[in-house]
Amino acid sequence: MSLFCIVIRELEEIESMASSKKVITREEWERKLNDVKIRKEDMNKLVMNFLVTEGYVDAAEKFRMESGTEPDIDLATITDRMAVKKAVQCGNVEDAIEKVNDLNPEILDTNPQLFFHLQQQRLIELIRNGKVDEALEFAQEELAPRGEENQSFLEELEKTVALLAFEDFSNCPVGELLDISQRLKTASEVNAAILTSQSHEKDPKLPSLLKMLIWAQNQLDDKAAYPRINDLSTARLEDPAV
Amino acid sequence: MLNDNSQDLATHFLKLSRLGSTRSAMDVDDDDDREEPPTELNTINSSGGFLLVSPDKLSVKYPTVHMHGHDVGVVQGNRPAPVKRLVYYFEIHVKSAGVKGQIAIGFTCEGFKMRRQPGWEQNSYGYHGDDGLLYRGQPKGEAFGPTYTSGDTVGGGINYATQEFFFTKNGAVVGTTRKDVKGRLYPTVAVHSQNEEVTVNFGADPFCFDLKAYEAQERMKQQVAIEKISLPPNLSYGVVRSYLLHYGYEDTLNSFDLAGKSNVPPISLDQGSGSNEEGRMYALSQRKVLRQLIRKGKIDAALGKLGEWYPDIVQDDKSATCFLLYCQKFIELVRVGELEEAVSYGRTKLAKFFELPGFEELVQDCVALLAYEQPHKSVVGYLLEDSQREVVADTVNAMILLRNPKVTDTQVCLRSDLEKLLRQLTASCLMKRQLEGDQGEAFHLHRVLNSGDE
Repeated sequence: MSLFCIVIRELEEIESMASSKKVITREEWERKLNDVKIRKEDMNKLVMNFLVTEGYVDAAEKFRMESGTEPDIDLATITDRMAVKKAVQCGNVEDAIEKVNDLNPEILDTNPQLFFHLQQQRLIELIRNGKVDEALEFAQEELAPRGEENQSFLEELEKTVALLAFEDFSNCPVGELLDISQRLKTASEVNAAILTSQSHEKDPKLPSLLKMLIWAQNQLDDKAAYPRINDLSTARLEDPAV
Repeated sequence: MLNDNSQDLATHFLKLSRLGSTRSAMDVDDDDDREEPPTELNTINSSGGFLLVSPDKLSVKYPTVHMHGHDVGVVQGNRPAPVKRLVYYFEIHVKSAGVKGQIAIGFTCEGFKMRRQPGWEQNSYGYHGDDGLLYRGQPKGEAFGPTYTSGDTVGGGINYATQEFFFTKNGAVVGTTRKDVKGRLYPTVAVHSQNEEVTVNFGADPFCFDLKAYEAQERMKQQVAIEKISLPPNLSYGVVRSYLLHYGYEDTLNSFDLAGKSNVPPISLDQGSGSNEEGRMYALSQRKVLRQLIRKGKIDAALGKLGEWYPDIVQDDKSATCFLLYCQKFIELVRVGELEEAVSYGRTKLAKFFELPGFEELVQDCVALLAYEQPHKSVVGYLLEDSQREVVADTVNAMILLRNPKVTDTQVCLRSDLEKLLRQLTASCLMKRQLEGDQGEAFHLHRVLNSGDE
């Protein structure tokens, strides 16, 4: 049995030499994994950063108590930010705009694109609710002037107004504007702008690290055959395919 | 069988308990910092007869008239350029271009013919001031950048990510060229015509070129490529949830789940990863209680609860788990100044660990606490930090998870998914770097987290 194993291993080595890829055994790789130093407090910080950036206020508060990790942003500001995000997600754009200005009037002043998208969302909601006259008035008074200043705003405005031409929204070419994903997109934009105005990174670090893992493994694939984590949701190590 | 696994687990945590100690085994993190960069010019192997190096070894002059192409005044840095980083860079300032301005900046190998301009010989690279050409071991130079003369500050750098050299003039990059040499390279300066004088800056003074901005830019290029990768939906959410579950942060978990449900749209996780989750749900409330007790330093209460709920964990008082708990109790006594009680506790509970391999280092450090009036400032002060309590809490947590009769894979108990993913990330980056001649930056979670927001 062991002679068989030796022969197989030799064949593997010859094959790897032919493809010039270094073969790393499971044992060897696990040793390298064990050598890595990961501090518990760093992982806690990573989790806290996620909770805070994504706006899970209560969870962040509880995590601070249960783990002793300090959030890198004032938790009070998260509640306000989440209220704005929620308002947009539910289609209450006027309310959201008021709240943003309460938080920091400079945000909309310095972000013409964001402001336009919020106004655009307001228009979409008016159309969705069948308030045609109001919608037209709003488009002419608030949005048309912005469109005149900026070509891409004008294009988006025209797309939005086009909704009025259809009775049956489910079949029209610009119907995607009425989809909830449009609200979510705008909500994300507002969330990011608020975070930036508070000098905080607008994205949590964790997803970037997960992407980095995929990238690093892809890069390493060119040079070595080693145990991989193919399914990040299980974090299970899989032996290299022979 | 279970005993073997639990001993492995415990040893793992024993090692962790010494993480904070500065005397612990070599840190992969530090390895990168240990490379010493060049600090001054090397006067031992320079073409001594042809040039004059100043006493501070940071400037060089060509005093005579040169006769031919083999009397160049060449000098290298005292050490080779460090490689375990993104970029290496240094600058020269031309004090005087002398008669002909035949100054060069570049990189050469060990054993370079120190009478020739860098770039005129194989395996050397030089950016020459008189013609603005780049020489890379060929007789003819390539068109590269502007000429440079008195008053100019010129820099030479190695970008390990792209495996290229780059040169700057007065703060702006003038060009890049491929680096074909794999081995160690020395920053090199050369002067050749009469009265040329050049000063060198290896980083002791601020550079004319904004190196930090350049590095940030290069890192950004890599980041852009990484950000393009798409993740399965809710992966991060799932990893965080799994983390909270694994370590027993019950209250946080409940809040988190509630928020997830009321999210727009509600977050639902693929229960395919259920098998791991089931294992981690085990004894959630009890693990939470124990963690809270240990985090507050209430070790006796923790031992009490363990005795009530999991007597077999604390049955063997020579086990690593008990050891860690007793050490922590000792530490807590020292913390509040109850030194007499600490001594008697130590005699009863800790003495037997002195001879045992694996335990002795920690117990020695604990006892050492008694020697200091201000133990938190001493070399064993790390024991008084929260991180120490955290290790004990994590050990107890893992031990309880192991008790789950349904557990088949002990690895699940040892590390959270997040930890496994981060280890894989670090190991992959290190291996990739190793296979590329050990050049370039490695991934360090600690640095990424503490780099601060720009």
